[in-house]
Amino acid sequence: MLAGLAAALVLAIIAGVAFGAVPISPGEVVGAIAHALGGGERTLSDAVVLDLRLPRVLLAALVGAALALAGVLYQALFRNPLADPYILGVSSGAGLGATVAMMALGTSYMMRAIGVPLGAFAGAGLTMLLVVRLASRRGRLDPTSLLLAGMAVSYILSALTSFLLVLDREQMSGVVFWMMGGLQNRSWEHVASLGVMFAIGSIAPALYHRELDLMLLGDERAGQLGVSVERFKTLALASASLVVAGAVSVSGLIGFIGLMTPHMVRLALGPRHRLLLPASVLAGAIVLVVADLFARVVLAPVEIPVGIVTALAGGPFFLWILLRKERTR
Amino acid sequence: MSASVPSSVPAGTLEYVGASIGYGARTIVRDASFAVAPGEFVGLVGPNGAGKSTLLRAITGGATVSAGDITFGGASLVRMPERERARIVGVVPQTQLATFSFTARAYVEMGRHAHLGRLAAPGPADAAIVDEVMERTDTARLAAEPVDELSGGDLQRLTLAQALAQQPQVLLLDEPTSHLDLNHALQVLELVRALADGGLAVVGVFHDLGLAARYADRISIVAGGGVTLPAPPASALDAQVVSDVFGVRAVVRTDPVTGSVAVTPIVRGADLAPAVSGPRIGLVCGSGAGAGLMRRLALAGHPLYAGVLNRGDIDHAVAAAVGAGMAELPAFGEVDETVAAEVRAGYAECACVVVCETPFGGANLPNLQAALDSGRPLVLVGEMDGERDFAHGRARVLWDRALERGAVRVDTEADVSGVLGRCGGVEA
Repeated sequence: MLAGLAAALVLAIIAGVAFGAVPISPGEVVGAIAHALGGGERTLSDAVVLDLRLPRVLLAALVGAALALAGVLYQALFRNPLADPYILGVSSGAGLGATVAMMALGTSYMMRAIGVPLGAFAGAGLTMLLVVRLASRRGRLDPTSLLLAGMAVSYILSALTSFLLVLDREQMSGVVFWMMGGLQNRSWEHVASLGVMFAIGSIAPALYHRELDLMLLGDERAGQLGVSVERFKTLALASASLVVAGAVSVSGLIGFIGLMTPHMVRLALGPRHRLLLPASVLAGAIVLVVADLFARVVLAPVEIPVGIVTALAGGPFFLWILLRKERTR
Repeated sequence: MSASVPSSVPAGTLEYVGASIGYGARTIVRDASFAVAPGEFVGLVGPNGAGKSTLLRAITGGATVSAGDITFGGASLVRMPERERARIVGVVPQTQLATFSFTARAYVEMGRHAHLGRLAAPGPADAAIVDEVMERTDTARLAAEPVDELSGGDLQRLTLAQALAQQPQVLLLDEPTSHLDLNHALQVLELVRALADGGLAVVGVFHDLGLAARYADRISIVAGGGVTLPAPPASALDAQVVSDVFGVRAVVRTDPVTGSVAVTPIVRGADLAPAVSGPRIGLVCGSGAGAGLMRRLALAGHPLYAGVLNRGDIDHAVAAAVGAGMAELPAFGEVDETVAAEVRAGYAECACVVVCETPFGGANLPNLQAALDSGRPLVLVGEMDGERDFAHGRARVLWDRALERGAVRVDTEADVSGVLGRCGGVEA
């Protein structure tokens, strides 16, 4: 199953690189990658593939993987199939943090490369704390309150971000486009930055997949069965915040990937995280690579921000789960 | 019954050491001190909200221990890391979430978590343990079913299996049979009994006093912010305790079939409160024939007098429960002239006397005689035929004499209240 998903991801990446303003055959794509790895002579199509298309497509895959990973973590920790970094407001928090960092740190490249992800991480973490605090009543986390608090906080933080952007007109157009969720003009630096954050954020979930299963039984039961609940929650939420911060700082607000992919994978493969985690990560990567491809070709040569594509697909999906859940209640 | 002394506690003993337990700043149970040895099953009973579940939840961090400690073999369970504790203590909570569709087998396997290494997957030894506990809890056939589609009873047994998969030395059960049918309830309790006999220290919260008495070695009563020292069911539970703790007047006796304490609730004490509001009614009863009527008349506020009753007779227990006056005799005791006079005087104070549909023999015939001699209006229930008269026709003679003197006869107990008005201003 995982091998199948991995193969599908490779095909999606090749397709993502091949399509575009200058069509490139799948053979040329593979050739370009081989040249880059083997150090052969570079052709024009190699340059298009290696400098423009491949970083963008790999970034889409990483962003999708990161958001899906965060979605799996939130859904397990909050025992809520509707939890997702976008809906919980964490993405908006990361966006505000990244914006503040961008404005405060000026144009120095190094400062931005480190400062923006850090700002996004701080924004994501603080937002998570705030939303959990708002949705808790006497130590209990109400699932509906969690979603409502997340959405309300998300609106407020997005409005704050917009407000900051109005103050700083010079940067406005670029950042607004980034906020909508776009993957244009991304380079290998972005891939590296997110890659590192994703790698760090994956460690705990990979090691603690059984704890995630147990968390679905409730905090108290998980504790009875041997999970150090508070410590684990902190670790898992920090991991989720880290990968969300990484994704948001390179690609802005892309919604619903973290909601849709774990949900679909769970329906197909069941709730055990040993399988659900890697499968969701792969599926998230595939979905975003395909969504980005769609965003590039549907109105070519005009590109739609990929966040719009995912929201158009994800919004109805959210409603479908919500209504289905209400009906089975 | 003696207070536990730490030095004499055998290894593997669960002990509450002056533990005060609650939620946040609110203390629910103060100074709980008792020990549960390996091989022992202690039942906790008490009214809702008294802190039975809280006592259990304190062990696994669901409630706060603000003073004292709860220990296992001398080590604090309260401060123990969760993983280590989960290898000692298994819990079956009152209810369990099943919102995600794990298979029953995967669900039970989660009980192995605390025994598995960080990177290790469950191995053949773990699989064997899971198989065994599912077999013992009669859940093996559910293995492939998703837990979110199972009944509450199946889920409860799977949760027990999950707790057993922890291979605990202490088992905590919070109303382990609340979702179970009678068959499965007995099956689960027999299993728990066997586990205790096999060396586990078991603490179970019960609402059913009879089940607690039947399966637990000792019973503690949790009420009024405290917990009593565990005592054998026969001494921990009596009618006075049931009345004090639950506010229910009950018949507490030894069940002749199971040999354990059986509790039959008669009336809520609160319902009896406005008592002594009607005229006194006498009853000639015995063998349970007066139980229903006594209960009804007591609830209606009538003071009652029930004549001579032998200890061990159901009507004796019911009369005691509703506070009826009577002359007590030991089981199979005989009525002498002194007692007969006392009973006659007792009936004489009543507005009228109801002769219940009881069989008559040498032991309770004096009641009928006394009722007749008291001169009070009589209400006779049913017919006096050979099936009721075991006194060689003497009951028949008294019955006919009563009718001659104007006694009212009704067919069934249900008709009694309709005719009480006729005997001297009694409002039923």
